[in-house]
Amino acid sequence: MNGDIAIRAVDIASAAIVLLGVWLAITRSIGEGTWLLAGQSLCMGTAALIVGATRGSIELMIGGLLAIAVRAVVLPIVLRRLLRDSPVRHERHAYLGPRASAAAAIVIVFVAALAVDGTTGFPGGGSIHALPAAVAEVLTGLLLISTRRKSLSMIIGLLVFENGVTLAAFAITAGMPLVVELGISFDLLIVMAVVQVHARRMLTTFGSLSTDRLRSLRG
Amino acid sequence: MIEVLVLVALGSPIVGGLVAWRLDVRRATRVAVAATALATIAALSLVWMAFDRGPIVAAGGVVRIDGLSAWLLLVVSAVVLLAIVASPRYLASELAQGHIRETDPGRYYALVLWFIASLLAAPLLDNLGLLWVAIETATGVSALLVGFHRTPGALEAAWKYLILGSVGIGFALLGTLLLYASSVEHLGETSDALNWSRLMSSGGALDPGLVRLGFLFALVGYGTKIGLAPFHTWLPDAHSQAPSPVSAILSGVTLAVALYALIRFHLVADAALGPGFSAMLLVAFGLLSLAVALPFLVAQGDLKRLLAYSSIEHMGLLTIAIGFGGPLALLGATVHLLAHGLAKAIAFITAGDLVQQYGSRRLGRLKGTLAAAPESGPGLLAATLLVGGLPPSAVFAAEFAILVGGVERGWTIAAAVAALLLALGLVAVAFHVVPMGWGERGRRVSIRQASPAMATLVAGPLGVVVVLGLWTPEPLARALAAVVAVLGGAHG
Repeated sequence: MNGDIAIRAVDIASAAIVLLGVWLAITRSIGEGTWLLAGQSLCMGTAALIVGATRGSIELMIGGLLAIAVRAVVLPIVLRRLLRDSPVRHERHAYLGPRASAAAAIVIVFVAALAVDGTTGFPGGGSIHALPAAVAEVLTGLLLISTRRKSLSMIIGLLVFENGVTLAAFAITAGMPLVVELGISFDLLIVMAVVQVHARRMLTTFGSLSTDRLRSLRG
Repeated sequence: MIEVLVLVALGSPIVGGLVAWRLDVRRATRVAVAATALATIAALSLVWMAFDRGPIVAAGGVVRIDGLSAWLLLVVSAVVLLAIVASPRYLASELAQGHIRETDPGRYYALVLWFIASLLAAPLLDNLGLLWVAIETATGVSALLVGFHRTPGALEAAWKYLILGSVGIGFALLGTLLLYASSVEHLGETSDALNWSRLMSSGGALDPGLVRLGFLFALVGYGTKIGLAPFHTWLPDAHSQAPSPVSAILSGVTLAVALYALIRFHLVADAALGPGFSAMLLVAFGLLSLAVALPFLVAQGDLKRLLAYSSIEHMGLLTIAIGFGGPLALLGATVHLLAHGLAKAIAFITAGDLVQQYGSRRLGRLKGTLAAAPESGPGLLAATLLVGGLPPSAVFAAEFAILVGGVERGWTIAAAVAALLLALGLVAVAFHVVPMGWGERGRRVSIRQASPAMATLVAGPLGVVVVLGLWTPEPLARALAAVVAVLGGAHG
């Protein structure tokens, strides 16, 4: 495959990731959030796959496939199954309303673009847009975690944050060594299993997955 | 041979956990004790070999055990063994009081065993990425243990632990990634470019900007797991809500494992950037942790939270000691790691025992413990004072060495401030814990029968902490020297 096409593909994927991130910040529907998360993961995995194919890097291709399988398929399925059993489907009364979060998300995109500007020359080369997209994704994840109240929204935020770190890995070093990549995916599955068990416990104890009841421990 | 030992150390708790999951209390206990015993015997053999012959490298460079890893392995083995041995009594009481269901003990042992496997794996791995994987696995599994009781408080603590821990550890992954990026130009995109020993020998060839950034992310990330202020807010909740033997593992060694990871980053940063940058940050965050913990120690009303804040204080001190550097402070840190692990584990085990007996964690309700609890009453009193650094505790000797070592290295003001905060911390802990021994206990609190097994479990480790404060046997002195050498930057 032609190198230019690969760079083009990564650029498109990065743009899509940034747009999906802003959409994630705006949407109040948790179900929609799971689709957006899956979309981001798919873009990231595909970008890694294409770059891997052009560079002839088997490791990067496996990393991309792993990202698609775990982050774009398994995790959203787990989240949607949890959502089905939860009475809470929408993010109401978040700490930031839709407009404020949209503004914050757009600010994040600019901050990310400026912060990483001038740091070209990273090994790995290729698209210069993947790293700013990764930084934006990390920050969007943090925004979601810190401004949402429903536990599933916060988990989506956590996974967006995680995706950002992985995208950064693809962008900076063309992925971590394969054994580390495998370990990280394994850990994501463990964390999701833990979230699932924990969410079931919360449902039996509180009857909901809202974190509003989780404010008793102090001092 | 070494591969077999590693396999036994990690494999037996993993398999034991799978077996224990569906068993009843009696059988699950047997499986858990057997698996942990097997794992610790294997781990201690590795420790012995590493101290006897110098760094062990095995499994194609994936496993590397130097003095520092061996020491951590020793502390982890000792503390998890204590926790497993203390678990049957804890679970029996929980079952009798109806706090857990008949099927819960099997799950409890399974999760604890997997937790143990991930903690034992961390010090064995040379690759900083895999070290991260081990610590993240420990976080996930232990989050389920923190929420084990399914009470609102336990679920809140587990939730905070999971979210803050995962975000923290995410930053640590970024730090790891940046360190990898700093080495790629020099070492190439090979799987061992994240091996600590390779990074150390590359030293000056690493990209300094990326190393600096990588250390900062690791400091925030692993700092969250260590419980350094201001990233510590999850810690008192998690450590107080977890089942007490699990609290013993969390406070006694899980924090230390995260600190171990940060130390590896600090050593790479030292090798690449020269001393100063990371040391300054470690001392600053350590002092902040001491200062933040103090008011919560003074105004504390909950026994297990008191112990949790004491852990924040001591992790702060350890972080300071690593920042000070120099043989004396590093020797103090090494001794402190073991002494604090043992004494804090016993403190949580005895505290949990008292909480079950009194049905409350409120310090105001826990009165007359010396008469009512023949082992846990005096055990808790002794353990907390020894942790606080009352002579002749090894913690005292360690603190003294750290502070004097700091002054020797020119950190006079930091050492003075730390000494003051530590002294006040000890007074605060004693102020809460000493009055527990006497006074009127509630009418419904029954007196516990003396149990020789429990007495041994409590007195043994505390005895070690006292003896270590007075005397260092020759083989141990050699082991300590090996640890200090690694902490000082040796990587051959």
